[in-house]
Amino acid sequence: MKNKHQNNGHFGLYGGRYVPEMLIPALEELEKAYTVAKKDDSFQKEFTDLLNNFAGRPTPLVFAENLTKRLGGAKIYLKNEGANLTGAHKITHCIGQALVAKKIGKKRLIAETGAGQHGVATATVAAKLGFSCTVYMGEVDIQRQRQNVFLMEQLGATVVPVAFGSKTLKDAVNAAIKDWIENVKDTHYVLGSVVGPHPFPTMNRDFQSIVGREVKVQMKKREGKLPDYIIACVGGGSNAMGIFYEFIKSSTVTLIGVEAGGKGEKVGEHALRFKGGSVGIVEGYKSYFLQNKDGQLQKTYSISAGLDYPGIGPELANLHDLNRVEFVSSKDREALEAVRLLARTEGIIPALESAHAVAHAVKLAPKLSKHKIIVVNLSGRGDKDLFILAKAFNDKKFMKFLKEYTQ
Amino acid sequence: MNSIDQKLSEIKKNKKLGIMTHVVVGYPTLEKTVQIVKTMAECGADFVELQIPFSDPLADGPTIMKACEKSLNNGTKVRDCFKIAKDLSSQVSISLLFMAYYNTVFKYGIKQFIKDSKAAGISGLIVPDMSIDEEGNEKFYAYSKTFNLYNIQVISPASTEQRLRKNAKIAKGFVYCTARQGITGVKEELNPELSSYLKKVRSHFSIPLAVGFGISKKEHVKALKKHADIAVIGSAIINIINFSKPSEISKNVVQFMKNLDSK
Ligand SMILES: Cc1ncc(COP(=O)(O)O)c(C=O)c1O
Repeated sequence: MKNKHQNNGHFGLYGGRYVPEMLIPALEELEKAYTVAKKDDSFQKEFTDLLNNFAGRPTPLVFAENLTKRLGGAKIYLKNEGANLTGAHKITHCIGQALVAKKIGKKRLIAETGAGQHGVATATVAAKLGFSCTVYMGEVDIQRQRQNVFLMEQLGATVVPVAFGSKTLKDAVNAAIKDWIENVKDTHYVLGSVVGPHPFPTMNRDFQSIVGREVKVQMKKREGKLPDYIIACVGGGSNAMGIFYEFIKSSTVTLIGVEAGGKGEKVGEHALRFKGGSVGIVEGYKSYFLQNKDGQLQKTYSISAGLDYPGIGPELANLHDLNRVEFVSSKDREALEAVRLLARTEGIIPALESAHAVAHAVKLAPKLSKHKIIVVNLSGRGDKDLFILAKAFNDKKFMKFLKEYTQ
Repeated sequence: MNSIDQKLSEIKKNKKLGIMTHVVVGYPTLEKTVQIVKTMAECGADFVELQIPFSDPLADGPTIMKACEKSLNNGTKVRDCFKIAKDLSSQVSISLLFMAYYNTVFKYGIKQFIKDSKAAGISGLIVPDMSIDEEGNEKFYAYSKTFNLYNIQVISPASTEQRLRKNAKIAKGFVYCTARQGITGVKEELNPELSSYLKKVRSHFSIPLAVGFGISKKEHVKALKKHADIAVIGSAIINIINFSKPSEISKNVVQFMKNLDSK
């Protein structure tokens, strides 16, 4: 299957660069620098060196033997991106972007963050490569991922709470874009997913595509063949595009994206962009958005901040329309069960985002024969979700500890 | 002929600085919007931007953003904006323009939006996030032309020569120059490099220059007289609305606008 019309950042009908004229020069500069860097051996060498010797690549492909036995169907492998420095896949595109930003002489990195993972990764890379750093984060997300705010501050970043709109990820994106408009001369905006105006969706996908390439090699070595299914959770879509990209042309590999089903079907209870949304143009790109008839973005909800976003990467929108990527969803409850299950069977506590993908594998595996292979992208580890998990599991001891600790 | 041309020739004939003011439709209420625009017309505004409130206004600072949020919370719909435009265009003789974000236009249907705007008496459209580079897919400028609506291009001090050239080719009516690289909002001082920037713009555009973003006092307006054809006043008037009792909004807008033009 081909991904036609990729020029100017278009993926079929989607993508593009719908921004005020004031941002065009910065995006053109970024695109040019990235195009040069992509073909530059010394850039690739530096990127790979930081991935391997700073972030900790390659990440392991773990055979989930106990889980496989328990479910009694397809063999399940886990691509453990949680083993990266800062605990998620996000650091990969942060390193890539920071290196490009350095080439064009920027001194300051800004980022939006939902779960806080992309913010922590940006702050980490800023510290390592000598940038100053500001991270925008919705007030609602600060409430649920407080510890990541603390970590970002320890890494030397300034965290700016966003009190507009729904006070979540999309509003943090808006705030970061505005900062960028005002400070474009010395600042690079490290957009944290495969969304936004061209070249971000292409650039972040390219950086993340190392994940799929590693899986291919690791799979060949272990099983001597390609997997039959690859499952990834989809917020904006960076971890999903990262693991899918290498396999898009391999038609025997079924690619499945998992959206956040939240707690119900009503507006504001989920983040199901395909089922509940329609095509629109927001935050610089054309794609599916959860919006009303007037094109106003709607409230979204998920227990995982990283999936709580009304838009989806334009390349995924195209792959959806082409029926190349299948989209399903997992609910809060199912993700929580998946966290418990994976912790106990495999000794891995996944991020709540990634747990949505695990939950779908749990549904799918028993329906498949033992000869089939599923790879689940574990985009992150669950440490960041400690407080949410303790609350959701109603852990009285932890709540007691919190109370006493603050006295 | 488009009413924008008419206004522009009046401005030229009278050798004055044109004034474009701005409202967010439905802020503080739909009724007040109508009243405020009428007041602006009485005070000598030549153009009024009717901003259609949007949930995610990318180019706007806190003042206009909060006004959008409030208007949407009041329940303002896109069709209310068309209705208000229609009511106003039959009552005032100034040029009315819609300022909108592109998703509003796109969701409504590009052609339909432009057609209905024309029917409602709108003369021009300011859609900052509709980029020239996307015209191939959108046909926004093509439909604007068909229905004789002027697409007002917005450019900034960061615009390169190449972008200015590209915009000059497609711009209609006048070109909206943001006084600084930034988002909307009131500022104390004008950009010190304004005159060289506007000179550069003039070398590419044959149509008049409007300057906005941060214009809030008579010193600003006075300084603009030398370099620009139209001053755009946005957030400053929303601030007046914010600080006024509902019953005193009109009075305070009158006072603000009179003061802007005083010697
Ligand atoms: C661990 C983890 N997985 C997934 C996501 C969702 O983002 P994306 O869809 O871009 O991978 C996030 C975002 O914060 C995350 O932290």
